[in-house]
Amino acid sequence: MQPLDNVLISRRQALKSAACGFGYLALAGLANANNPLAPRRPHFTPRAKRVIFLFMQGGPSHVDSFDYKPRLERDDGRLMSFDDARTLARTRTVTTHRVMKSLWRFRQYGQTGRRVSDLFPHIGRHVDDLCLLRGMHTEGIAHGPATLFLHTGSINLVRPSVGSWVTYGLGSENHNLPGFVTICPSMGNGGPRNWSNAFLPAAYQGTAVGRAGIPATEARIRNLSNGSLSPAEQRRQLDLLQALNAEQIRRAPGDSELEAVIGSFELAHRMQMNAPRVLDLGGETRETLRLYGIGERATDNFGRQCLMARRLAEAGVRYIQVTYGDNTDNPAWDQHSNLPKHADHALAVDKPVAGLLADLKRRGLLEDTLVWWGGEFGRTPYAERNGTGRDHNPNGFTVWLAGGGVRPGISFGETDEFGHHAVRDKVHMHDLHATILHQLGMDHTRLTYRYAGRDFRLTDVHGHVVRELIA
Amino acid sequence: MRRRVTVLALVVVIGLPAVGTAAGGDGIEFFEKKIRPVLVEHCYKCHSAAAKKDRGGLALDTKAGVLKGGDTGPLLVPGKPADSLLLKAIHYTDPDLRMPPKGKLPASVIADLARWVAMGTPDPRTIAVARTKGQESWEAKKSWAFYPPRRHPVPAVKDAAWPRAPLDRFLLSKLEEKGLMAAPPADRRTLLRRANFDLLGLPPTPHEVDDFLGDTSPQAFAKVVDRLLASPHFGERWGRHWLDVARFAESSGGGRSLLFKDAWRYRDYVIRAFNNDRPYDVFIKEQIAGDLLPATTPEQRRELLIATAFLLLGPTNYERQDKPILEMDVIDEQLDTLGKAFLGMTIGCARCHDHKFDAIPTKDYYALAGILKSTKAMVHANVSRWMEQPLPMTAVQEQAVRQHDKVVAALKERIRLAKLADQKAGKEVGPVFAKGAVAASTLPGIVVDDTQAKRVGPWKASKFTGSYIGDGYLYDDRSVKGEKTLTFVPEFSKGGFYEVRLAYVAHVNRATNVPVRVFHADGEETVRVNQRQAPPIDGRFLSLGRYRFEPGSQWFVMLSTAGTNGHVVADAVQFLPDEARRAAVKPPAPPTPGAKGKRPAADWRALEAELKRLVASGPPRPMAMAVAEGEKVEDCHICVRGNYHNRGPKVPRGFLQALTPAGAPFTIPAHESGRRQLADWLASPDNPLTARVMVNRIWHHLFGAGLVRTVDNFGNTGEAPSHPELLDHLALRFVEQGWSVKKMIREIMLSRAYQLSSASPSPAAVVHKIDPENRLLSRMNRRRLDAESLRDAMLLVSGGLDRTAGGPTIRTGTTAERDYRFEDTRRSVYTPIFRNHLLELFEAFDFPDPNVCLGRRNVSTVSTQALFLMNSPFVMEQARRAAGSLLMVPKLDDVGRVELAYRRALGRLPGTRERTLALAFVGQAPGPRVATWGQLYQTLFACIDFRYVD
Repeated sequence: MQPLDNVLISRRQALKSAACGFGYLALAGLANANNPLAPRRPHFTPRAKRVIFLFMQGGPSHVDSFDYKPRLERDDGRLMSFDDARTLARTRTVTTHRVMKSLWRFRQYGQTGRRVSDLFPHIGRHVDDLCLLRGMHTEGIAHGPATLFLHTGSINLVRPSVGSWVTYGLGSENHNLPGFVTICPSMGNGGPRNWSNAFLPAAYQGTAVGRAGIPATEARIRNLSNGSLSPAEQRRQLDLLQALNAEQIRRAPGDSELEAVIGSFELAHRMQMNAPRVLDLGGETRETLRLYGIGERATDNFGRQCLMARRLAEAGVRYIQVTYGDNTDNPAWDQHSNLPKHADHALAVDKPVAGLLADLKRRGLLEDTLVWWGGEFGRTPYAERNGTGRDHNPNGFTVWLAGGGVRPGISFGETDEFGHHAVRDKVHMHDLHATILHQLGMDHTRLTYRYAGRDFRLTDVHGHVVRELIA
Repeated sequence: MRRRVTVLALVVVIGLPAVGTAAGGDGIEFFEKKIRPVLVEHCYKCHSAAAKKDRGGLALDTKAGVLKGGDTGPLLVPGKPADSLLLKAIHYTDPDLRMPPKGKLPASVIADLARWVAMGTPDPRTIAVARTKGQESWEAKKSWAFYPPRRHPVPAVKDAAWPRAPLDRFLLSKLEEKGLMAAPPADRRTLLRRANFDLLGLPPTPHEVDDFLGDTSPQAFAKVVDRLLASPHFGERWGRHWLDVARFAESSGGGRSLLFKDAWRYRDYVIRAFNNDRPYDVFIKEQIAGDLLPATTPEQRRELLIATAFLLLGPTNYERQDKPILEMDVIDEQLDTLGKAFLGMTIGCARCHDHKFDAIPTKDYYALAGILKSTKAMVHANVSRWMEQPLPMTAVQEQAVRQHDKVVAALKERIRLAKLADQKAGKEVGPVFAKGAVAASTLPGIVVDDTQAKRVGPWKASKFTGSYIGDGYLYDDRSVKGEKTLTFVPEFSKGGFYEVRLAYVAHVNRATNVPVRVFHADGEETVRVNQRQAPPIDGRFLSLGRYRFEPGSQWFVMLSTAGTNGHVVADAVQFLPDEARRAAVKPPAPPTPGAKGKRPAADWRALEAELKRLVASGPPRPMAMAVAEGEKVEDCHICVRGNYHNRGPKVPRGFLQALTPAGAPFTIPAHESGRRQLADWLASPDNPLTARVMVNRIWHHLFGAGLVRTVDNFGNTGEAPSHPELLDHLALRFVEQGWSVKKMIREIMLSRAYQLSSASPSPAAVVHKIDPENRLLSRMNRRRLDAESLRDAMLLVSGGLDRTAGGPTIRTGTTAERDYRFEDTRRSVYTPIFRNHLLELFEAFDFPDPNVCLGRRNVSTVSTQALFLMNSPFVMEQARRAAGSLLMVPKLDDVGRVELAYRRALGRLPGTRERTLALAFVGQAPGPRVATWGQLYQTLFACIDFRYVD
């Protein structure tokens, strides 16, 4: 039998609930060891309790944001030889490309004086809290493969998502909410596979709140409310159901699976009562809303998503992903032919992300919340087909981390002087995954699951914890 | 590749300081000073005895190791840095081999290493470090399943009256041995419901229940089984089991998920195969090598071609840019699936290393891979596609298609003539097409076809007008916003002036302001093109001007959709050198209407509308996903550590050695892929795994657990069989009875064991101690309804089930899966299966991941299931429909209604307390009656007895 999401209750309790009505069920009995979402001890003392991943879908350009390259200005417009990843994979040759300087000015920020471009003036002000990983590299040249790799550690094979591994390893701190929530995820480039539990038990799948393309104000968890019954009517119906179930379970005394079925209705009901409250921003102060840019046209939507993320973090959700993207094959940040468009996307996310950082910090949540900002890859330092955009670049790009026990105010790793290849202190996506698990108190080599005859890991047989990042 | 190596060699040689002495005392000093520290610092972590893993089979901590090299081959040629892999790796010139991986070494260190190799690799390290890697013994890794099934005597039992079939004796003897009592027979209602769900995936109707209860003959149940086996719904149920194994889906999944528009043909083929009780060995052969098997009729040929879709249905990232790797990924997926499906073996493990647990060396993996590499499975492009073949039609169908094509062509000609006539009369007619397709190679100058253009953003290919250069033309997909571009890059071998011409297909819906930029040796020029006007040159081309170009590839012509006011199309760009322009004879003008006799100029608008209707209604030329023999038949190289670009020796095409008895007649001729032989080998009665794996799957579906519970894994990491002798007995029976699935099912269902109650006969404590997981089958397993049965049962009870069988079910006009709305109420087996967008009910209720071969589904209990049953519009709709039909039944009081609702939903009457609860519920409810009774039905759909089969 597969492991079950059996929020177990004993038969006595089931009968009691049947007799006394649905609401009388004791909650205490639900958090027992058979509950796959019960909190579990990590391998060692964790530095972070949860993760908020701000996914910049499509691949923001690092050389136009967090990786300043004076050389691009010097050689702007020159045709030079680059081993472009796409050309290499297709033809195994190296061709010439026209170097393109950044369209945005870089300024120094904070005590550390690190440079951030004018795309992100708000995030720039938090640069002393950020740990910039400038030597990132990953697998996959096209969006689909690279996006799956980012989320599951595999381009091709069906593997559990990072969030599923995290909840599998740690359980959830909140029994009325799922442990892994993804806000407005993209349906493209792998879609649900990016928050899928794959072969892990179904309890660890990500729960989607809305989807890309739906305004955050309308983002909901599916089937969380009943369109035609009032809460009182529905309660009456549930009481009948549990009473009938209690009758039917008499034939199979002690069958834990059947008890789990009864328990699943209890949990569903509690989620129905709780989740809308957590996702409702109505109780936030005007000051907080402003902090996230909520109410301003450009930032309202992503601001709401970021604020939902904070509320979910507070409520004890382990892994929260917020996606800035869409459902197309060339999502959001994918500026092949029109780099200036980056400004629109930056405008939409800059203030909300900065607001989230500030809000987490002042609430003391940043200490044990690991924030991860980044895309599935970066972009080339040269113009694509000599036009006005940049192609994908999996060989060198920047992501940043904040909070959750990583060193603030540092930059780690370097790309070459053009920003094309990571050359020093390279961090592979597998390494980043290993490091994130490490901050959560888990050894990525020990977080395994046996399936189809062998043990699987998020990092397969790869990955090293990047100790230099740890505070 | 070769050229690059030469260039590198040159660099290395030039960059090398002159070295006077060869290896000597100085050499050792040089090694100690310059080389050893580098090796220790940058290499030993992975390439030494102390390393956790010796990566690439390379050891750099001994002289012998350095000289021996690794999996990729010799590391260096002493004295010849230019020929040494080491230098290539540290120079970072080969994208697949860059060492050390963390970052390139400083130039001075690289120079030192080059010098060291040039010196002849002086190296004082003589002590050999002991390395432990024992020789593998394949014999030891052979699991029980690698030995052929044996004929075991049917065991003697104490209770001789109990067994009905020989298989019962195998089970009973174990029960007696363990001192466990068998459960009593299931009551007849339960048995009928069980048989119905097992064979059809649908509950019995109240009428069918009454019939069975009224039939007191001893053959009553056998009659039921025969009736159910003969039902067309049988194939829908059992075909679906196979579709789980075949990881059937109607989209490619992965990142950019493409629709498999013809996958339904395979689904229907599988359903037909089970309904017709196609012998299982034949079924295997058809799926592996149908295209190579003889056929006598077009129908049979179709069936055989369609069957091979089995090999193509896997999840594939067709947009992977490295096409050789993409091909190996597909082969890997094919091997993984066929290994699990037919053999219960995880062959895929041997891609990178000898199988750690089973008798499958890497060599065997690549022997099989060679067969599939010699098979054509896809057609490459930026986003590649799976292989398709036209399906043979009957003579009548063929005739109809030809006739239709003729009519269409004639109508197109009439439209063209009508337009020309109007144009002559000075009327606005939109484009007049030049006729027919022209091969790019027949045109002068350099022609870059749209298929070679670099695309940014989605562009759609079309051949609609039938008039184009090369292979169709592209148009932008205006439903998707954002700027898109097409870039045509010519290769000039000669500098000079060229006339640049754009070929496009005009139409009234086109943009009048398409910006076309020409990047030439003297700068760039933007020309605005009005694509509503027919191109003036030959009805095909428009001149963009004359520009100078130089050899090289940095020049191009780029079309953009920026700011355009209609569709943007492009067919080709022609670069016509001056001399060709001069020599070019003026192409013949399109024939004028007068030339062919006078037909009155028809209204071309009406004709175009007619054409549209005609094209839409015409008989389609059916295509199927199907493989073919490869253009090249060849053995496959071992890919060291699974890396395609790291080639080991070639392995002759063949099969798993441990499963192929010496002298077996499976040799592959040099000119054949070997798929035919692979099919014969898989479907051979002598293959120890094939029959066992299939009878175990049948057992699994009838008992809820296989004799080997890991139904897809008969290897050493799988579970051992609970009754090995029984499994052998059934496997041999299966082959003897002509691999008939229906006969095997019937035999099992008429046994005593199948018909037992699911209630435990012994006290719980005893059972828990002796057989907690019911592996000895002292009772039937209680089973959860799978997603399809749950949905179909609700639809059946509500009266909404549409029993239409077969045919394409993806809504016409669907281009992407992500926004697909699932609306039909046909049986669930016909619900489109999109890898990245499953029907919500499937997702919630453990429908198997269509990305992998999965013979045993998960059974999970999660709150999303409860939420679905409580709140989904689908469930509420079915409940309301069921209530509506209940309330239509005349002359029933509430007691009668509750009883009928129970009979319809659960196949039984309510118990006393259930009746009381239900009556209280409907009696006290406010609101309209249909709503109240709908709520009762919804509750019945959600209750345990609806969701489980006892």
